[in-house]
Amino acid sequence: MKVLVFGEVVDGTIQNITYELVACAKKLGEYLTLVTSDADVSSIDGRVIKVNAGETNPWHYKIVEKVIERENPDLILFGNTSSSVDIASQLSAKLPVATSVYEVSAENGEVIVKSLSYGGKIIVELKLTTPAIAVVNVGSYNAEDGKGTASVEEIEIDELGVRDGIEFLGYIKPEEEDVDISKAEVVVSVGRGIGDETNIEMAEELAELLGGVVAGSRPIIDQGWLPKTRQVGRSGKTVTGKLYLALGISGATEHVEGVKAKNVIAVNTDKTAPIFRVSRLGIVADVNELLPTLVDKIREIKEG
Amino acid sequence: MKICAILRLVPDLVEEIEVEENEIIPFRYMPNERDEHAVEEAIILKEKTGAEVEVIGIADSENEADLDEGLGMAAAKGADKLYKVVLDRPTYKRCEIAKALADFLSDKNYDLILTGIQAIDSYAGNLGGILARYMDLPYIGGVVEVNVSNGNTIVKKELGGGLLAEYKLPLPAVVSVVSAERPLKFVPFTKLRQAMKKANIEEVELELPEIEGVEVLKYEVPPEPEITLIEGDVEEVADKLIEALKELSIL
Repeated sequence: MKVLVFGEVVDGTIQNITYELVACAKKLGEYLTLVTSDADVSSIDGRVIKVNAGETNPWHYKIVEKVIERENPDLILFGNTSSSVDIASQLSAKLPVATSVYEVSAENGEVIVKSLSYGGKIIVELKLTTPAIAVVNVGSYNAEDGKGTASVEEIEIDELGVRDGIEFLGYIKPEEEDVDISKAEVVVSVGRGIGDETNIEMAEELAELLGGVVAGSRPIIDQGWLPKTRQVGRSGKTVTGKLYLALGISGATEHVEGVKAKNVIAVNTDKTAPIFRVSRLGIVADVNELLPTLVDKIREIKEG
Repeated sequence: MKICAILRLVPDLVEEIEVEENEIIPFRYMPNERDEHAVEEAIILKEKTGAEVEVIGIADSENEADLDEGLGMAAAKGADKLYKVVLDRPTYKRCEIAKALADFLSDKNYDLILTGIQAIDSYAGNLGGILARYMDLPYIGGVVEVNVSNGNTIVKKELGGGLLAEYKLPLPAVVSVVSAERPLKFVPFTKLRQAMKKANIEEVELELPEIEGVEVLKYEVPPEPEITLIEGDVEEVADKLIEALKELSIL
């Protein structure tokens, strides 16, 4: 099976997902990587086609189409990330696609994938006829296995005869005024299970007692209950400290991608919540009933 | 200026979902959260520009009743027109829905078509990008703010880690929203009931084309977590949690 990897570049840097996808591709057969923006591609293992078409842009799907015509891959791999999905989803108007994929295999010339769907609660096994597209979740393959020495071929954008319809205007960097949750040793994180904005105060009190900071999952940020700088997950920050205490967070794939803390303790009323699969300790309880008791007990210990 | 927002239904994950090898049977459906953000962003654009907003709800014969509340909510927030599109069969293939929808939308002359970036059941494609290609319109997803000026839309897109980028697209265009630029507006129950009574919903039946290439082999529940879950009264579990915090030298 021949596999084409779409290499993702953000702000001039090859993203780690690219190496993860190459690691996946290597297991399936012949592979090459396409990069459509200017970046140092030298550490990508194997053949690399580089087209310098400016910052990553949804119209780059046209470049991928041209490279598909030229290389005839059986499978095209994309990362399940904001920029790559823009391109993958447009190409999937013509090619079969599977999304939220965490495992890819090839059988008798067909592609078999497993997708973690329904907020991480159901695995869907799919068969795709080739050529096909798989959009693979971050963290599914080991990036180190996709690193090596690149053999690079550069193509001028003019040679491909495709044009731009969408203009990149610039990056907007995150504000750094708030605490950096990615550097905190202890993160007390709240999700939909917290129920009400007023309950966040109690989570803040707990965080303070534990010498940590408060963060939240997307629904909490969407509600405006915590600032954007406190969001954990795919579009927010990745926490890497000693403890991630997940309170009322179900643990959908896009959230768990941002949880790289050494220890996860989760509290949730739903025994089937996917967050328990990445936890070292799981407690089935209503956060709002548990929090007052927990805060009282810890305060006693601290004061005692 | 005329904007439409697409509103799909997804299984309600709070309720039990029956998982069989060849099908899943949800207890109830609810509006796709990301689509609710697309509707909200359309309403925000109406406030900013005076645009006309139409909301297109999509359901199938099995779940169409669950769509009414979502459409009523859109009406209560200020949508000018509502469509209830009932597909002739359920499908997990986004390309089939996108094809039927592209035909339906082709004569509506929308300047902007908004969808949610994804749905919890999108394992076989994401609607927005596919729809854009079938309609031959520019596309961008992952958007958290939409503005319109001089025949263009300028959007802010999330790139992860808190980084955003700004892009300019000529109109008409398809834009997939991840979050509206403000929290979803709260609609009191009485206002929702009133809106549902008054709402003028045009029902449309759409026939789905059959598109081959993707086949579900099976559905399954992921393996149980390897840890033992702790249950009990609040005092008991609080003590267990404190014990764990002590083991980690956090307490």
